[in-house]
Amino acid sequence: MGKTRYPTGARPLLIEETARRRRIESRFVALLEGNGFAEVVLPIIDFAEPYAGVTGRESARQSYRFTDREGELVAIRSDFTPMVARALAPALPESELPLRVFYRGDVIRCDATRLGANREMFQIGAEIIGDASSEADIAMLRLAAAIASEFFENALVVYTDGGWQMADGKSADADSSPPSAVRHLPSLLENDARFVYHEQDEADPSSYYTGLRFWVYGDDRRKPIAQGGRYDSLYSRFGADAPAIGFTFTIDDLD
Amino acid sequence: MRIAIPKGRLQDKVLATFATAGYEVPDDADLHTRKLVFTRGGIEWIFVKDCDVPVYVEHGAADAGVAGLDQILEHECSAYQPVELPYGRCRMMVIGAPGAPRLANDARIATKYPRVSRQFLDSRGLRAEIIPLGGSVELAAVLNLTTHVIDLVETGETARVHKLEMQDFVAEITPRLIVSKNVYRTNNQQIRALIARIEEAKNAELQSIA
Repeated sequence: MGKTRYPTGARPLLIEETARRRRIESRFVALLEGNGFAEVVLPIIDFAEPYAGVTGRESARQSYRFTDREGELVAIRSDFTPMVARALAPALPESELPLRVFYRGDVIRCDATRLGANREMFQIGAEIIGDASSEADIAMLRLAAAIASEFFENALVVYTDGGWQMADGKSADADSSPPSAVRHLPSLLENDARFVYHEQDEADPSSYYTGLRFWVYGDDRRKPIAQGGRYDSLYSRFGADAPAIGFTFTIDDLD
Repeated sequence: MRIAIPKGRLQDKVLATFATAGYEVPDDADLHTRKLVFTRGGIEWIFVKDCDVPVYVEHGAADAGVAGLDQILEHECSAYQPVELPYGRCRMMVIGAPGAPRLANDARIATKYPRVSRQFLDSRGLRAEIIPLGGSVELAAVLNLTTHVIDLVETGETARVHKLEMQDFVAEITPRLIVSKNVYRTNNQQIRALIARIEEAKNAELQSIA
């Protein structure tokens, strides 16, 4: 075992990289706090059991799992979103909804494929809990675009159909909707070149997303720097009936 | 746009399909040089080992490419597979050494596809041992390194010559056009045009066969 080796995907940040990381982080936090988001801190490990059936097999495969000293199966954090839901659900004061929270920290994903994507990632994410409106969708899409535009000249947000309600109450997807009808949400984003509507994407049955999905790209269009969407049934899995929408930026991808 | 072409068995046919689709592809003279990237008709063509096409496309180093389903499955590549091409069809099979019994828990299997093989064994509830090899896997069964082989079979000639026995069917394998999800999202018009042109070329090729 070489003295300079680290487990796959893990590495320290030295002085300059750390300074850079912290600069990016503080800009993020300032933007989020400026938009009314309050921070929560989540543990680095958690029991695996509460997430069974919530995150799907793929995501379970991506996390480092082991038994703790009491013999219970625990996992290192690999996805913030379900952890935020589990932490907040038992203590959601209805009077304070909608709630705006953000979180930051490392996640570790051990991608088991041969494509080599194992790594530790520093992420910052935000979500609005308890607001099912398309105004919340737009607020989050715009915030994601605003953050990305802080770091890139040509930021792009690609979003899919969220099943938005038409002005007449019909689903935007319904075949009965007249072809001339303008979808509610896209029409609000139409004049902003940073937003691209993407008609189709495969539905991932194991994911917790329930409607709108989006991906944020910087100048490099090969890989998203952030992704997000709506997960209206996630909180109910942990005992609170609250819709939610959020996004997560992977900060290492902002280089 | 950058397109990854698999070197070897499929290379000429794949280039012919792109040519039928109206793309200006590198010609033989180009391919005899040692260059790795050719720019023709505004497209960068790269030639990589067939098993590496999914890797280039998955990571966005190529926007699109042609890869066999065997390699797509083995890499658990998440790229879209919008067009199945009408040639190079073969089957992934379980092949037994001469006189070997059917697959059982004590079998040893040589393969270039350890991941796909493991999933196949899991689906059958078998714990057989897998020995990953880089090529010429039939030899492993011929020399009794293993009792079985999981590999692609086109005509079955190699197996017949060595008295190997086709025992079980794993998957139908065809080459496919694959496109990166991120390119599909961010450069939708260009990538859709590519898909439409390849689909059309495929249909033209199917008609010329018929």
